[in-house]
Amino acid sequence: MSVPLSQMWTVATYVLRQKVARRKRYPFVLMLEPLFRCNLACAGCGKIQYPAQILKKNLSVEKCLAAVEECGAPIVSIPGGEPLMYPEIDQLVAELVKRKKYVYLCTNAILLKEKLDLFTPSKYLSFSVHMDGLREEHDEAVCRDGVYDQAVPAIREAVKRGFRVTTNSTLFDGASPLRMREFFDEMMNLGVEGMMVSPGYSYSKAPDQEHFLLQSRTHELFAKMLANPKKRWRFNQSPLFLRFLMGKHDFECTPWGNPTYNMFGWQRPCYLLQEGYARTFKELMETTPWENYGKKSGNDKCRDCMVHCGYEATAVDYTFSSLKGFVETVGVTLTGKL
Amino acid sequence: MSLEGWVPDVGDYLTLAEVVEFAFDYRGNTTIVKRDGTEIVGYIFNRNTYGSESFIEYFDESGEGPFTLSYSELANVKFTGKDTAAGNSWRAWLERKEREKAERAGAVSVPDPHPHRG
Repeated sequence: MSVPLSQMWTVATYVLRQKVARRKRYPFVLMLEPLFRCNLACAGCGKIQYPAQILKKNLSVEKCLAAVEECGAPIVSIPGGEPLMYPEIDQLVAELVKRKKYVYLCTNAILLKEKLDLFTPSKYLSFSVHMDGLREEHDEAVCRDGVYDQAVPAIREAVKRGFRVTTNSTLFDGASPLRMREFFDEMMNLGVEGMMVSPGYSYSKAPDQEHFLLQSRTHELFAKMLANPKKRWRFNQSPLFLRFLMGKHDFECTPWGNPTYNMFGWQRPCYLLQEGYARTFKELMETTPWENYGKKSGNDKCRDCMVHCGYEATAVDYTFSSLKGFVETVGVTLTGKL
Repeated sequence: MSLEGWVPDVGDYLTLAEVVEFAFDYRGNTTIVKRDGTEIVGYIFNRNTYGSESFIEYFDESGEGPFTLSYSELANVKFTGKDTAAGNSWRAWLERKEREKAERAGAVSVPDPHPHRG
């Protein structure tokens, strides 16, 4: 496992502070979407389908920082849209690093090479490059030929310059466990710090509605893909979340774990479902009917969801909430056996 | 099925609140018809029914906003803008890939009937 110690320590002390304060609900990762524009239109993405005047808009850096302060989460993930198309991305990242927030800048890496000069390597900044598999699978997932071949040299360059680089892969029905294992080898060869994997969520607005994974297929796919993981594979996520994807752990969703802020406000209830917006983070936390979400709720929209933004928060909370969870996490981390 | 082009008939069988729900879910511009007869083209991104007075929130066609309009000022919403979630560009990509695959398969499976000609 490859989450750096300083980051682990920050998250651990943050969780313990929440426990001591007896906070029932608290955020882990702020999903900050400063824009919806993207230079790709992926088949499984339901995030960018908006009229032109919305796609042209950007959140101001001031509004982004106010949201970060309001939320208080120790990690800020910047998805979008494509954040490297955000005109003030360098300024935003610099301000977040100054505030000692761990930043995951999620990018398809098309613009990464030309924009690298805007950034300074830091333990607080990681480029999280969207890679859905080897060349053929990735280009098919992003609906454009040649994107894999643009991303790979960009990753190499970023690694060479001393940046933290991770990958994030979204998997859909039809993914081959064998090809994914080859992909993990390839990413490790590129020198990335770690990889993140998650099943895709069945966005109702995504163009391709036929390839989202059902829960049983998710277990099957991840169990095969992650069976006897190679020692050299490093994952930048909770090992218990990976065990959950493999069907070895049962968790309930923590929909408030990764709250989302964008130009519409604070998205209810989570990063994936779009059921309305609150004007403040406090309003989001206090007025969202949380009991209506997660598998136990019986909500159809949550039935097959096993996505990291709902379940990784649960896994991390479990690690720091009980001795059993902590021992299990340490055991898996030390042995590398999932 | 897309709601693009739909002009709802608000009445006994379809309430304004139901139309607003459809509009909230719609990923295109709409024409917001106010009770005074004025119309605004914009993108409705939220509706809030939690407080004492329900309202919608929208950005207008030029991207200005967000603006708020209470349900009591609202008469109807027409689905006049293009549905950006209709998946047209993805379908075009799929069709192109299928065509390419078929061409490649054709190149392999259909041998030249006159291999020694010329």
